[in-house]
Amino acid sequence: MANFRRFRPDDLNKLSKCNLDPLTETYELSFYLQYYAKWPSLFQVAEDENGNIIGYIMGKLESSPDVYKFSEHYLPWHAHITAVTVAPEARRLGIGKLLTEQLEAAGDAGNAWFVDLFVRKTNYKAIKFYESMGYSIFRVVKEYYGDHSTDPTQDSEDAYDMRKPLKRDVKKEHIRADGEKHEIDPTDVW
Amino acid sequence: MAYNRYRYGPPALKSSVDVQLQSAFSDGNWSAVIRLAAKRFATFKDPYYEAIRVSTEAQLQGTAEKCAVLVHVDELVRSKKTPDINTLDLYEWACQDFIGYEIDFAETFGPLRARWVKANASSPMASSCLQGCLEQWDLVSAQQIAATLDKTYANTTDRRYMFWNITLTFLLSCTEASRKVYSLLTVRQLQKAADITENSEKLEKTDRGLLTEEEVCLYYRVLLSHGTKEEFLARLRSPKLGAISQLKQGHKLLFCECLDALETWGEWDTIYELCRDALKLGLDGSTTPFFVCDLRIWKRFIAAATEATNADAALDEVQEVLKQFIELKDKATPMYKKNISLALLETTFRLPSTTINPDHEDTAMSPKVVQIGLFLDQYYERFAAFDDVKGYVAELGYEEAKTFLEDVLPKIPGENPTKAQQIIIKALECRLRYTLTTCPQTLSPHPTVVEGTDQGKPFHCRVCSNLAKSPCEGCLRKLIIDAADAHRQITSDKELLAAIPRLDRDPRLDLALVMGNSLLKLSGLRPGLPNFGQSLWQDVQPGILLQAVLLLDTQLKVTPKDNGLRLLLVKLYLLFGCASYAHQLWAPLDVKRTIQDALSPLFFDRISSISPGLFQGTRPLMEPLRAYYTQSLRDPSPVRIWDAFSSGSYTSILDMAEYDKKLRTSCTLVMTLVEERRATRLFGGKLDADIDDHILATDIVEDTTLVHKTDYGSFPSLESANGPPIQEFIRLGPGPSNERSHLAFLAEQYLDLLTYTPPKDYKPSKAAEAAARDKAYALETLTRINTSLTDLLHKPSTPKLLTPAETNYYTALSLLSALVLTAISLPKSETSIPKIVSQTTQPLKTTLTTLRTGLLSPKSTVPATTQQAISSLCDMPSFASVRDVAFAVKLSAAFVLSHHEKETARDKSGKSGLHKEVVAEMKALESAAAKTLGEAKGHVGVLKGVMNESGWLDKLLDVVLGEEDREVGELTEKVSEIVEGRGGAEEWAGKVVDGWREGVKGWGMVKFE
Repeated sequence: MANFRRFRPDDLNKLSKCNLDPLTETYELSFYLQYYAKWPSLFQVAEDENGNIIGYIMGKLESSPDVYKFSEHYLPWHAHITAVTVAPEARRLGIGKLLTEQLEAAGDAGNAWFVDLFVRKTNYKAIKFYESMGYSIFRVVKEYYGDHSTDPTQDSEDAYDMRKPLKRDVKKEHIRADGEKHEIDPTDVW
Repeated sequence: MAYNRYRYGPPALKSSVDVQLQSAFSDGNWSAVIRLAAKRFATFKDPYYEAIRVSTEAQLQGTAEKCAVLVHVDELVRSKKTPDINTLDLYEWACQDFIGYEIDFAETFGPLRARWVKANASSPMASSCLQGCLEQWDLVSAQQIAATLDKTYANTTDRRYMFWNITLTFLLSCTEASRKVYSLLTVRQLQKAADITENSEKLEKTDRGLLTEEEVCLYYRVLLSHGTKEEFLARLRSPKLGAISQLKQGHKLLFCECLDALETWGEWDTIYELCRDALKLGLDGSTTPFFVCDLRIWKRFIAAATEATNADAALDEVQEVLKQFIELKDKATPMYKKNISLALLETTFRLPSTTINPDHEDTAMSPKVVQIGLFLDQYYERFAAFDDVKGYVAELGYEEAKTFLEDVLPKIPGENPTKAQQIIIKALECRLRYTLTTCPQTLSPHPTVVEGTDQGKPFHCRVCSNLAKSPCEGCLRKLIIDAADAHRQITSDKELLAAIPRLDRDPRLDLALVMGNSLLKLSGLRPGLPNFGQSLWQDVQPGILLQAVLLLDTQLKVTPKDNGLRLLLVKLYLLFGCASYAHQLWAPLDVKRTIQDALSPLFFDRISSISPGLFQGTRPLMEPLRAYYTQSLRDPSPVRIWDAFSSGSYTSILDMAEYDKKLRTSCTLVMTLVEERRATRLFGGKLDADIDDHILATDIVEDTTLVHKTDYGSFPSLESANGPPIQEFIRLGPGPSNERSHLAFLAEQYLDLLTYTPPKDYKPSKAAEAAARDKAYALETLTRINTSLTDLLHKPSTPKLLTPAETNYYTALSLLSALVLTAISLPKSETSIPKIVSQTTQPLKTTLTTLRTGLLSPKSTVPATTQQAISSLCDMPSFASVRDVAFAVKLSAAFVLSHHEKETARDKSGKSGLHKEVVAEMKALESAAAKTLGEAKGHVGVLKGVMNESGWLDKLLDVVLGEEDREVGELTEKVSEIVEGRGGAEEWAGKVVDGWREGVKGWGMVKFE
């Protein structure tokens, strides 16, 4: 039922199956087009037979600004998953996994050291999914989110910065086993 | 659009400028800057200081100071000298409010920047000049700069200059009059680059060949647009730049794009070869196994095989490749496993019947049926199972379908199915049975005239053996009863209820959709209703339609997250005039930002005619839409286009340019402007400006093709491809279209002309000259509007794109514009009045009479029955058109008569007024319009009175569920059970009645004088 291909702007007119889902954020046009303009091969979609978008992933290839080169929080050239979503009707088919693998392949093609992403600490399902794909916690970003997904009495939530090494990181220098013990401030994320 | 390069502040001054002047400039202390700059210019004679002074003066309030910079820019353009880049920056900043209005960038700053780059090609500022031209979408200057840069940096490692030049030349070739020159140039440049790639053993970055995926795809895009088919096909098979070669390098984009082109050309042999070779790459390890294992590729492979020169051999090969993938299936992810299963199903359906059933055995349990069964064996519990097989089931012959539903489907969950499995199968069966009611094979033709009487049932239903219409009402009734029983079974079984959260999809939702859709069909609802002059309820049985709504609404409480159901209900509530409740259901969908362009028409299209009261809320109703377009179309260039240039994403550039063009000419954008203006007019509000002057209407001119992109993808679709989709049944008239949007836009232009009032302080010294100019403008505008309206209305496709009420309104405007044109151009001295006057006034008078008698008079008395009252409440769009036509007549007459009065007052000679017969005709029309408007107002008053009556809940429930203590039919009984009787339906009835009351309240605020 699904076809995988690179995103094209007309897909923005076929997003209802994904974006009417309350868990999927809808951004301004410039946000989508920025990714399509700069990293088109890292913006992939899954479409159904009627051309409706039933899943997509948006990512980028970057490093921290040079000014932070000597900071311990400096991020070398890497791929980053900005958003990944699958429509409710297309879940449990591995579409999210396939989209993520495609982004990893694009990361490898772009000679990135690793792929990273942020996920809410309480989003156990997503964390388990990423772990099953070889991602591990690299650090904890304290109070990264301005709200809490499960506890309305709290006004913030921590994020896990999860990583998966790519082919370039032969010695696995960019991951660590005790990531949960490394806590950082949101201001240290660039 | 206003120029915004300096949105965040002025350019930096040259570092050679002294600190005192620098700090005054950065502080925005303009008077100090002007004084200091003049002083420095006197001292150093450096014209840069003069430029600082002139540019800074443009920041002052006085018109003379503001505009002085324009003279300096003009001098620069004319001088043909190379300008100073820092001066250019300052002037651009100073002119930011003029660009796009008094100044055309493409004739001033663009050529100046191109001139500067030509003289300073190796400067790092050159790219910034290119960016500046692109931000203004001045493609001519941008291309000239890119060509200069390409020449300067040829054979360097930065390959972007070469491809910027090519891409811009290509973009120009798509827009310019000199298309041929540019297209030839682009094709030749890329052919040369392609040849270099093909002929080089190893291409270096400094070579001018095609290296990256983006460069290769740009080449093919250009070939597709400007090259020959033969050239395209030949290159597609080439060893380095061919689609298969690119796939081996992990580049899938070209492969996907070329298949689309080949299909358009009907190049089936090539499609076949490419799909086969691409799929085999996965088998022989040249790519990952499932790299191109998309269902679309399989479907094209199979379709191409059936069309191939040697179809038998090709189909054998398809099966062979598929077999190899089936062997690999265990290694595939669930998605690809499913794609392979669907490919097998597709193959079975596309193979010739002689191949799949060579012995012509009894076809009921055919290989097609078996394959659907095998597919469902694996996937029947999955969310998408119905959508996956619906199309195939609809293709089955009647006997096959019967066997499938009776013998195959029930056995799918095995010998000892759980209750949940049984109910999933039941829900699937109901949905498929519904789909089959929309398929022709379930009906056979039957003589409809018996003994001279038309029986109205031209078919014999093969399922229930009754005489039938299409769809068969007997089958729909049976379906409702079966689905209702299954629904009831679930709700009364704790074990089943407990199992639901573990299922992919709530079967109650599917059953409710079957019942709802069936009831909608039974109610008589069909695409194109309501007809003008008729209420929806004259063609539809209101009780049954409202049962469908009640039932679906009840289901929404159980499954509130189902967006398809929610959208269905939004449309249904709009259909019967319950807009405020529709809005309550719409709001949680949170349609915002980028998805508004495609989704907003689902709620907002025609909203001012349905319920103008919604515009009276605390927040302007259309503000999010307006804000989205204002934000996204702020600059003349496509959003983020420079990012694509700087990243070397050439296909992104082309796609973004195309998308931007469509967004600027979107039907939803026109809808946003028009609906808001119509609502403002309805309430007698003042419009800020003419629609032509609206910043978002810049790209909308007469010959613009307006684009509609409404996204119906989330609507639940039980229908087969043999008939219209469900949204066409429940939509209040045809969806957005180029024609309707243009007509709506023209209507606003016409009303703008009629309602224009000059500023109070406008007192022309030469009154006669001013009056002549005004008249000439009015005549020119009226001619243009009348011609456009008439042309659009005469297009054969237009009637199908409008509701009858809309046709009536735009026809009236066409007549009125012709009448006004004649009225003010006809000399007073003319002895005989032209025929056009009677040819326009007569139909207008007839229209007003028809509207009054057809839509108002009978209802201006209190409706005798609840159904009649409901009929009026639901038909507000027709009522709106009465008000629109009458108001347009009134304004037109007022415009002509006011012109007459002004002319008579100005020219005391008595020669300049209008022809007396014209004046008389206009007065007669004005009076007829006033009468109609008065009656329309009375109609609203009657409706208000009706809605204020007590007992509405009971009245409505009587219509929907039958009167209390009276025997009702089986269907009503079933619906009643599901909604838990009148008690359960009371809350719903309250919401509906409140919705109608809100609607009438809104109409009560509308101005009729």
